[in-house]
Amino acid sequence: MRKKSITLLIMGLMIVPFLVTMAAAKTLHIGSMSPLTGPYASDGTDIKNGVLTAIEVFEEAGGVPGYDKIELHAQDTACDPRQAVASANKLINLEVAGVIGAYCSSSTIPASTTLDEESIPMITPASTNEKVTDRGLEYMFRMCGRDDDQAPASAKFMKESLQAKSIFIVDDKTTYSQGLADGVKKSCNELGIKVLAHEHVNQGDKDFSAILTMAKTANADVLYMSLQGFSPGSMMAIQAKRLGVKSQIVTQDAMFQPKFMEVAKDAAEGIYLTYGFTDPTTPEYKAFEKRYVPKYGAIAAYATYAYDSATALLKAIKAAGSTDPAKIKAELMKMEFAGVSKHVKFKANGDTGSSYIAFKIIDGKFVPYWDPEKGLLK
Amino acid sequence: MIQEFKKIWKQYAIGMLWLLGLLWPLLGIHPDGTLTFQKTFTVWLYILAGTLVCLFVYVANQGGQLRFITTPVDGVKKSISLFVKPFPRWVWFVVIFVLAVIYPQITGRYATDVAINVLLYICLGLGLNVVVGLAGMLDLGYIAFYGVGAYTYAVLNVTYGVGFWFCLPLAAVFATIAGCIVGYPTLRMRGDYLAIVTLGFGEIVRIVLNNWMELTNGPNGILGVKPVSILIPVFENGFSFEIFWVKKLQFFYYFALALAILVIIGVHRLNYSRIGRAWESIREDETAAELMGVNTFIYKLLAYAMGAFFAGLAGAFFAARMRFVSPESFTFLESAMVLCMVVLGGMGSIPGIMLGVVALIALPEVLRDFESYRMLIFGATMIIMMLFRPAGLIPAQRVGKRSEEKE
Amino acid sequence: MEYFIQQLINGLTLGGVYALIALGYTMVYGVIQLINFAHGEFFAAGGYMGVIVLSYFAGLGYMETHPVFCLTASFALSMAFCAYLAIGVEKIAYKPLRKESRLAALLSALGMSIFLSNGLMLTQGVYDKAYPSELFQGGLSFGLVTVSYLQMLIVCLTGALLVGLNILVFKTKIGMAMRATAQDKTMSALVSISSNRIISLTFAIGAGLAAAAGIMVGLYYGSVRYDMGFVPGIKAFAAAVLGGIGNITGAMVGGLIIGMVEIFGAGYLSGEYKDVFAFIILIAVLYFKPTGIMGENIDDTRV
Repeated sequence: MRKKSITLLIMGLMIVPFLVTMAAAKTLHIGSMSPLTGPYASDGTDIKNGVLTAIEVFEEAGGVPGYDKIELHAQDTACDPRQAVASANKLINLEVAGVIGAYCSSSTIPASTTLDEESIPMITPASTNEKVTDRGLEYMFRMCGRDDDQAPASAKFMKESLQAKSIFIVDDKTTYSQGLADGVKKSCNELGIKVLAHEHVNQGDKDFSAILTMAKTANADVLYMSLQGFSPGSMMAIQAKRLGVKSQIVTQDAMFQPKFMEVAKDAAEGIYLTYGFTDPTTPEYKAFEKRYVPKYGAIAAYATYAYDSATALLKAIKAAGSTDPAKIKAELMKMEFAGVSKHVKFKANGDTGSSYIAFKIIDGKFVPYWDPEKGLLK
Repeated sequence: MIQEFKKIWKQYAIGMLWLLGLLWPLLGIHPDGTLTFQKTFTVWLYILAGTLVCLFVYVANQGGQLRFITTPVDGVKKSISLFVKPFPRWVWFVVIFVLAVIYPQITGRYATDVAINVLLYICLGLGLNVVVGLAGMLDLGYIAFYGVGAYTYAVLNVTYGVGFWFCLPLAAVFATIAGCIVGYPTLRMRGDYLAIVTLGFGEIVRIVLNNWMELTNGPNGILGVKPVSILIPVFENGFSFEIFWVKKLQFFYYFALALAILVIIGVHRLNYSRIGRAWESIREDETAAELMGVNTFIYKLLAYAMGAFFAGLAGAFFAARMRFVSPESFTFLESAMVLCMVVLGGMGSIPGIMLGVVALIALPEVLRDFESYRMLIFGATMIIMMLFRPAGLIPAQRVGKRSEEKE
Repeated sequence: MEYFIQQLINGLTLGGVYALIALGYTMVYGVIQLINFAHGEFFAAGGYMGVIVLSYFAGLGYMETHPVFCLTASFALSMAFCAYLAIGVEKIAYKPLRKESRLAALLSALGMSIFLSNGLMLTQGVYDKAYPSELFQGGLSFGLVTVSYLQMLIVCLTGALLVGLNILVFKTKIGMAMRATAQDKTMSALVSISSNRIISLTFAIGAGLAAAAGIMVGLYYGSVRYDMGFVPGIKAFAAAVLGGIGNITGAMVGGLIIGMVEIFGAGYLSGEYKDVFAFIILIAVLYFKPTGIMGENIDDTRV
């Protein structure tokens, strides 16, 4: 008998702290969706880290009034539409105030439909496909640029700066890479660059020697490499160099990853890529760098966008003073601030606009090289 | 306790030493030319502690030390079975049915969503069960038929505006045709040759879906697939029908439930029919079956066709539910997952497969919070389940031994 | 013509890699009739071990002074590591299931594959790991045809390993014991061959070959990643079946055919459908010769 009562007492004591915390703490729930496993896990982890950094910074600056802490529910989509919808539903159940994600356009599109039904704002830091914001969803926003802005910028760069007359396009058959490659093809046709071939490889391929031999024989001025993720990109760069492909390699924002150079090493030298202009000299960027790099390593393509997306969402919640989606949306549309990646201002369809410029890889660094308006940069 | 289980402890010790040797090169050799031991040891000690607890429980249970827990549990089990017995089986079917019906009312959106997945995979699993469990043909490309069904509905709906109920049989028919196309050349092959050929067909279907831009819109997938619609009679201004779009997850759950029940009944009837017995005879011994006058060619083809038929039905539902299809949903890993559900649950056993589906869909969802450890635990669970219950969670009752295994 | 020769060289290289992985599949299958899905992960683990050892030496600065030693050591250590891994995997996940239905073992193998690739991810990170070595960069050029030293290394090493394996299996006592176990475990046990030991040995050799392939792939493509084993694993499985599963020469021929079909399919027909061509060849061959190119007739009662 005595034993039992002691056990009960201990159990009661163990429950008390839970009750206390439950009564006192009011938590603001934020969701993130990105591939944390599978082939794109590296980019997905960057997104999660970016959001975490934003929450950390925001909490240090005082957090959101009325909430004691901000909790992130990071969901894994594995770049699979079914898992994306499942995690969207899970986030709805957790009553999140907003979602940052997803990475693959093919995940973002179905997940946003689900989230929109429950009027939960979603800001994607990485999905550049036009359809993401072009479907008229009310609560879909985008921090990164659009494919149909990037492709013309890229073609213009090839025409004006590289004086290219012919181009050989390779993509790896994903929503992102193929959309971009098709856009480049169209823009090149308009600008009078001759498209010698548009070849495809498959996701997960490592051996590109057959396609690259073709490119070598075609000997175009430019080899446009449109691949999802830096990993196949670095492999293609290495193989192109080894085979002796003489064309200039031009590629896109997915390669804006320090890891790209780490793997490709000297094969990466002289490669051009288009990426949204981010000024690394601004105080915002410097502050972000100081906080992010020691904890998670070098800043890669989507960490800054994820950081800005989360900051925008948290600012909107703070300004709205509630998690009411309509109010958050109104605040998002109103807001304007200097972010890490860009100057953030949402347009009516949820886009923030693109600012693609060309970078060149020199001595293992991404160096801003050419701007569509200003021409060559120093 | 130590003495009795000497062998287990010895094996465990060897295993842990092996693990240490495995972990150190992965964690202890650094690119800057240094060697460390601390991290390896920490990780190893964590694993050691975790597994030691499990092993203690296991050994204690085997040695009868846990009687103070197992006895009451057994007592509860016994009283439950005593309570269950007097009722006929249909009562329990009704109870389960009622529970399934009220399920979405008492749970949230996420749980309903997972439940819909479970129901769809039950259809898939039971369909594959016809091929693998009943006819004994290993099929590693089963998800292709699911894809055919899903794309049939998506393409017909988006391009030609055909409604769901008209497409549902069409999707099943197309998948059946695909099943026959795959089945025909593979009927001559056996065992692992069959496995790789079906795997190849599965991959071919996926690559074609990913590349046939005109029809399938390639990797972009097909957007804007209409959900299920039903006609509701309206009595304003005379009599007319109004189209009601089933967008709400709850309604969709009931459709999936209805489909799953139909498939369960269908497979159950097949299983205990003449056809089912013919399949089982082929599985046990093809030569003997042929000798007994079973037309093995027709029945094997029929098994493929029936399996594909159920997958096609499930596929059309999948497209209607996601309102989006893309080739990424139909990879080899999905095929492997469905196969896992069938084998884990118990081949040929309908309740077993249902349990297997619940386990394999629920497990990754439960582990969702473990993030990167999720798939690791999943893989480990699969191995452990196979080691402890190699015939499945609920083994089928009528499965005999195969000739090769008698030795 | 130059285009053709260049593609031929590309095909040989890729085929050589597939052949090496396929050998492990075929050997394990020959002995215990199990499709070891985790074999692709041995390949990935081998690639990782190679990069770990090579970067360790690079960190010590041995790379410049003793490049040949570094390379040999990385091959030896990585092959040993994978053999060690494979023996343990067999003991844990397959041995207890030897008497159960083959599907149970197959699923256990699938689970092991998921477990190992995620284990690699957790210990080595989700990012690609770059091979440090600048070894064997460059190559020979004949007009438009380029043959890199690495390609030569891959082809030569593959050939050497294959010859070695053939000698081991057909000319030594151990090989005889392996063949005996493959044919009849009970009988070979009666003539005092320990089947457990032979099975372990088979796993070790197969994994060692996969590890060698892993390092070569790492050197050739410049990086390794935790999920690199999956696709080559499936292709090599296809190659092993194409050649006639259980047959060592068959696996080699199958690997070369799959590699060639892929490269020529991509080079002459269409890049996105290259895997389709490979699988169609596989299906066509199996349709006309259901046991593969070099396979013997299998027993009718086998499932």
